[in-house]
This record gives sequence, structure tokens and C-alpha cells, in this order.
Amino acid sequence: MANKADHIDDTCQVALMPSGRQGKVKRGTNLLKAAQELGVELESICGGRQTCLKCQVIVEEGHFPKLGVTSSAVHLSPLTSRELELSQNERLEGRRLACAAEVVGDLLITVPEESQARKQIIAKAASDRTIEIDPAVRQVYVEVIPPELGDTRGDWERLVEALEEQWGIKEPAIDIRVLPTLQTALREENFAITLTLWQDKEVLRVQPGYKEGIYGLAIDVGSTTVVAHLCDLRTGEVLATEASMNTQVRYGEDLMSRVSYATSEAQGLARLNRAVILVINDLAEKAAQKAGLVVEDILDVVIVANPVMHHILLGINPKELGGAPFALAVDSALDLKAREIGLSLHPAARLHLLPIIAGHVGADNIAVQIAETPYEQQEITLIVDVGTNAEIVLGNREQILVASSPTGPAFEGAQITHGQRAAPGAVERVRIDPVSLEPRIKIIGYDGWIEPDMADQLPADVRATGICGSGIIEAIAEMYLAGIINANGLFEEACVERSERVRYGSRTGEYVLVDSSLTATGAPIVVNQNDVRAIQLAKAALYAGTKLLMAHRKVERVERVVLAGAFGSFISPLHAMILGLIPDCQLDKVVAVGNAAGDGARFALLNRGLRLKAVELARWVQHISTPLESSFQDEFVAALNIPHARDAFPHLAEILPDTPKNDGGERRRSRFRNRMSN
Amino acid sequence: MSDEIDITQLETSEIFELIQDDLYDGLADEVVNSVKELLKRGLTPYEVLTKGLVAGMDIVGGDFRDGILFVPEVLMAAKAMKAGMEILRPLLAETGAPQVGTMVIGTVKGDIHDIGKNLVGMMMEGGGFNVVNLGINVDADTFIKAIHEHTPDILGMSALLTTTMPYMGVVINTLKEQGLRDKLVVLVGGAPLNSAFAEEIGADAYCRDAAIAVETAKKLLAIKRGELAG
Repeated sequence: MANKADHIDDTCQVALMPSGRQGKVKRGTNLLKAAQELGVELESICGGRQTCLKCQVIVEEGHFPKLGVTSSAVHLSPLTSRELELSQNERLEGRRLACAAEVVGDLLITVPEESQARKQIIAKAASDRTIEIDPAVRQVYVEVIPPELGDTRGDWERLVEALEEQWGIKEPAIDIRVLPTLQTALREENFAITLTLWQDKEVLRVQPGYKEGIYGLAIDVGSTTVVAHLCDLRTGEVLATEASMNTQVRYGEDLMSRVSYATSEAQGLARLNRAVILVINDLAEKAAQKAGLVVEDILDVVIVANPVMHHILLGINPKELGGAPFALAVDSALDLKAREIGLSLHPAARLHLLPIIAGHVGADNIAVQIAETPYEQQEITLIVDVGTNAEIVLGNREQILVASSPTGPAFEGAQITHGQRAAPGAVERVRIDPVSLEPRIKIIGYDGWIEPDMADQLPADVRATGICGSGIIEAIAEMYLAGIINANGLFEEACVERSERVRYGSRTGEYVLVDSSLTATGAPIVVNQNDVRAIQLAKAALYAGTKLLMAHRKVERVERVVLAGAFGSFISPLHAMILGLIPDCQLDKVVAVGNAAGDGARFALLNRGLRLKAVELARWVQHISTPLESSFQDEFVAALNIPHARDAFPHLAEILPDTPKNDGGERRRSRFRNRMSN
Repeated sequence: MSDEIDITQLETSEIFELIQDDLYDGLADEVVNSVKELLKRGLTPYEVLTKGLVAGMDIVGGDFRDGILFVPEVLMAAKAMKAGMEILRPLLAETGAPQVGTMVIGTVKGDIHDIGKNLVGMMMEGGGFNVVNLGINVDADTFIKAIHEHTPDILGMSALLTTTMPYMGVVINTLKEQGLRDKLVVLVGGAPLNSAFAEEIGADAYCRDAAIAVETAKKLLAIKRGELAG
């Protein structure tokens, strides 16, 4: 019996992080090929000859219940002689060459960013709104009176006197790590020094003579992505923007599974904390390098994050955020030393964390508001920040309401049959001819529209691997416009007659969006009924949340819509509205702003007044807990329809198909029609 | 209306068909009229319930499970069902008709999401069950109290968060401590759950959606009653 079972299970479960791709591969498959089969392309210049060493991967050890995988180094074939040789020269650091290893058991593999063949595209470079440069740290040049016999005061005390005389700065402190450098620095250039001061209260750095150059880092820690902007704090110029996956994803895809991990695993919190600190340090180093600096040149940091990320960063267990009433450990803005949370920058570098609004509306949301300033506008503005967690902001200078909305991860490609993150190979734009039902698509990594019959003309490496969030939104909106699905989201069976692209497998339909000739796997990419349902649920949660805020704010319509978040900048406003993800609005008043949280962090880095504004905002805005609202269920259900069961979309009047309102005249029809298809 | 149907002219079997169709289309008034007509013709409330409403909701449930119907349509159907039930419920009690069963349902402590759970409740009512909905953020004590008060056949628990689903295990352990566990069929559901989790915490089954909840409840209850009878 045992033998038979072994025989049947000739496959191994392989999961790859950070892409989250997983599936079964045949025992004995080369790992480089296995990754390819699962849709993860590793860099390889030598083509699997164990020469270029580009395809290095890390085998995670242990049991990962979410993935159903028990992973171990011995689930790969033993080290090859080449790998042994490399290990002895310390060139592998415990990693394996994917091309040298065969899969012999279940595995969780981390693909380091440098080993990925096509690196993730994240967010845009920083925006260009004007901000008054008034950072929390500044440099001052001071000439100190040299000591004389009979003057028993210390060098520091004479410096304090000089600071008051020359700059009017009273009672400064000095960082304990910096004090030991003072005497040498003073004597190097004849008692002339340049000080770096924080809020004119604390000396962070002492440089001999006259020096220029002061830099800071603005960081948005998202649950999926971490973005860092390195700024010149004198000019306000962005010198480098670096982004990376948040490597915490290996411990849990979404926020709540990370809270679970922190709560249930003995070392969980420490691991999550270390992962994100490492990512930030790594980004700082890359950004500094890009700007021709070193990390020790960074003297100030502003971090924004959602509450769970915020707590983990501070080493606080986010357990209480896992369930109602979602109690925060702390919601105030915090001024710390960067080293206190483990950041490797200048030893005295400061760290500022913007305040939090509520259990699931964080400093990142405050940062979005700082970047978009709805609190200064007369127009009623709706800001939708679509990430792994969606936040909604509604209002104007008179009152602002915020809510978080349980959208789930569908907009990021999860729960979608052929969904994937926005990366090269993802279908990101879709147009469907309403007559022929033929699709035109755009694939990330290739400029220009691709027609179904263009397979021969395209470069061999331009092939679709899946559909990302913006792609699925456009696909479903276009399917609705073309009549492939109806306002209920149901596939129209009559379309089978119109195009071979509409197929019926069992009782429900699917639409072939990309033919096999245009895909990387050679299998077609489809949108099926479940995909439509998943997007309906996600968009309804967002729309219902918006409607509740509109009801609270007593407004019938919004005058401006801002789509924020890395994903938001790729959404077509038109398609978002056709789908009913956002309410009706004048189309040219719907804008996508990209990573507004990162921009807000940067503005708060450059202007300390905005940090005070953030504190004021966090107190002033009103948080609404949407699931607790009695009308949430009703609004949610009405918002499941495309675009909506009740609400009118006058700005789409020319575009939307006429849907005959069900006046009861259809009695006895629908079931018979559906039963026929059994 | 042009295609208004005069139900007094229809055969009884046609009215049963009609009830099923009207439930499918969520037409509450029409369902109520048909129920009344059937009762007028001397059918027992139990027959009207099982051959009309429950049979109709079975079809709705099947199409929901298969993705043909979606939440709004199912809610309309459930509302129509409820309208019919309001007429039948007192009559069923009077006539001492057999009970399908009672379910106590709630979203567990720490969790405030309840749309999915409400849908399960409505579909269970559609399946003929008497449903006691305890709402959201329900702790073990509240579940236990409700179980003592309503002596249900089934306990349903829901959670939408990875962080709150372990509390279902806490409730089940409390049931065991109080010797109540074996008297109940325990069903669990919610987005982050799966069968392995249900098994781990000692629930009887994980139900992926409301339609499957009804099927599973009926199946497990039949087995349980069979056991008891045997």
C-alpha cells in the first residue's frame, strides 16, 4: 500500500516567494525549470551550466501551514561538486544554484531580487508638487573660541556659548554617540565646525570646517512594497528612489496572516521585524549608492506605514490589531533615533513616524492626505488608496471622513484564475471589440497594443504570463460593455454564438482573453465566472464604503476622485467607473496619483510644519467603521451589480449599454432560461 | 400587467412550479399569493413548505453554488422565501409538522464582518431551518447561552480574518468542557478557512458558501439522526 501511495504522488509542491507562485512539479525536475513552469523566471546567462551563478535561490526551512508545505534543504538533490567548490570559497552564502538542483520534495523557495530575471516595476518616481523646504535637520557653521589656560570650561560648553551668540540657539543637547567626535573635529580646522542640528535642539553631527550636504530618507512601508526616497534636505531634490518587495510576504501574504504569524509563532514578531528592517537598510544603502553617498550621510528619516507595519517596525506585537476593537499600542507621532529600531544610517540619525488615525487607518493614510491636501479643497474629494488594504478618504476643508474597506486581495491579482502582480508579462490594458469580441491587450514590458494575430511579429520574450489588477478591471469592464457579461455579472450564454472566445466548461462561461500563441506557458489566459465574482465582491466593498462616507458627509456626489497607491496609478479611471468601483464623477476629475503615501512621507521629511499638520489631521479627521454601519450590507449588495443596482452614472450615459430594468415582466423566464443550460 | 397569471386557474402541480420560479426571481408577493392559494386548496403547510419553498430554494442554492446566481439574486430569493414562511410558520407549529432543525449562528469574537454569515442564515431558513442569528463579535459564553436557550441541532460560526478564526476552536473546546459538543453539528465558514482548519479545531465541516452550508447541514443532520435512531 505504501508503495502504491508513493507511486501515485510523484509530484512535489513548490512555492516561490516573493511572487507567491506555487504548484506541483514532477519529482526530479530541475529547479530552474520548475520555477519557469510555475511562472517565475530566474536570471541565467550561462543557460544552466553552473557558471554565471545568477540563479541563486534560498531554501526556506520549516513547516508553512498557509502554503501546506514542509520545506527543507534535503528536498533538493545534494550539492554538486561545483556548488561545494563555490561554498568553500564562500561565494554561495548558503544559497543553491537553481540550475544545479533537482526537486525531490516539497519546497518553499525565496528568489532574491537579484536572481529574478525581470525585476518588479513598482510605483513611479516622486511627483513634483512644490513644497517649502523646512526640514527638521539643518547645518550651521560655528566658530568656537579656542581654549586658553585659565578657561576651565569644556569644549562643549564653549560651543554652546558660540551657538547662542552666533545662531541664537539655546540649551542644545548632543547625541551621546557624537560627543566623542567633538574635540578632534574642533581642532582639525582651527575651531571652525559645521554642526548638524535636529529641530535646533540636538547636535547630530560635528564636521570640521565648512561643510555642505545633508540628506534624509522618506519611506513608505507597505505590506507588499517598501519605497524609499533619498532627498537632499537643502534643495529638496529627490536624489534616488528605490523600491523593494516587503520580504515579510514569506510569512504571510496579507496583513492579517502576518498578525497571526506574529501572535502564534515564538519568533514570529522578531522575524517580521528583522525582515522589514533589513529591507529598509538595504534600500537606504542602494539609494545612497545611487546618489554617490554613503548611508552615514543620512541624518533624518520619515516613515509612514499602516498600523500593523508600524507596530512591527517598533517591535510591538500587533496582536490587538487582529480583532475588534483593534486597539493600537500608540497612535501619536513619534520622534526617535533611527538606530533605536535597528536602522544602519548615521549613528545619530533621527526618525519620525507620522501619527495613526485608527486601528486600520494608518500613518500611510495621513501621508496620502498630506500629499493630496483634501483638507485645503473646496471640492468634495474622494481618495481611494487601493493596496492590499483599501482606505477611503472623503471630504473637503470643512470635514474629512476616513474608513478602511475589506476589499481583499483580488485587485492585486490574487483570487483571480490567471491573476498576478504587476510585473513584466502581466496583461495591464484590455480593449474588446463590441462586435467581433476580439481583444487587444497591452503587456507590461512591451509598448503598444497587441492584437490576437500578432504572435509572429512580436519578440519571442514578449508573452503574457497573467493578468494584473489594472488588467482585470479593464477586462471585466470591457466584457460588460461588449455584452459578454450582464449587469449581474453573469456570462451571457448567447455570446457563444458570437465568438469562439466565449466558452462554456460546465454551467458557467469563460472568456479567452489571450490565445495560447501569445502566452508564456502556451496555455490560454481566461477570465471566468469566478473571476468576475471576485472582482464584484472587491469593488462592491469599496463602493459601499464610499457610499457610507457620502451618507455621513451628506453629499450626493463627489467632485473629484483620486486613485492612490502603486496600483491606483495604473487603473484607467474610465474603466474603474464603468465597473462601479468609484461613484459617478466628471471623468477629467478622476486622477491617478501613484504612491501618494511615499510622496506624503517625503513632504513631511522636507517640511517639519507638515509633521505638525499631520498630528492635527489625525485628530481632526473622523473615522467610520463601515462594517458596523447598519446600511453597509444593503449598500454592499446594491454595489455588486455593474456598475450599480441603483445609482446613476450620468457621466457614462454615452458609454454604458442600455440595461432593461426588471419590471417584473420577466417573471418565470430567468429560471427556465438557466435550467435549459443544465 | 400583460402576463399576469391567474393562479386560481392553474393545476396544483403548476402552482408548485410557479412558487419555485417566483422564488428564483425573488418575487415575494407572488410567492405569498401562491402559498395562500395552495393552503386554500387544502394542502398541508408542511407540503407547501417542502414541495414549494424548500424545493425552490434548493434550485436557488444550486445555481448560487455554481456561480450562476450571485449574492443580490439570492438575497431577493431569500426575502421572498421569508415572506412565504411568515404565513406558514404559525400553521406549521399548530399542525405539529416535523421540524427540519434549528441553527444558532454568529460571527466569532474579534470579528465584525457579517454579510456572508447573514447569507448563510438566510439560505438555511430557505432550507427550512429555524435560524437564531447572534450577530457579530460573539464570545463563547454568548454561544453557550444561546445553545441552552434554543437547543439547536446546528451551530454555525463565521470569521473573515485569519486572526479571529482560531477563536472557533476556543468555542468548540468550551462546548466539549460543558458536554455539549456531541449534541451539535458544528459548521464553520469564512474566507480564510479551509477543511483542514475545520478538522484541526474539531468542527464537523467547513462550508465554502451558503449553498454548501445548507447541503452539509442536511446531510450531517440526517447522519446524526440516523445514528441516534440506530
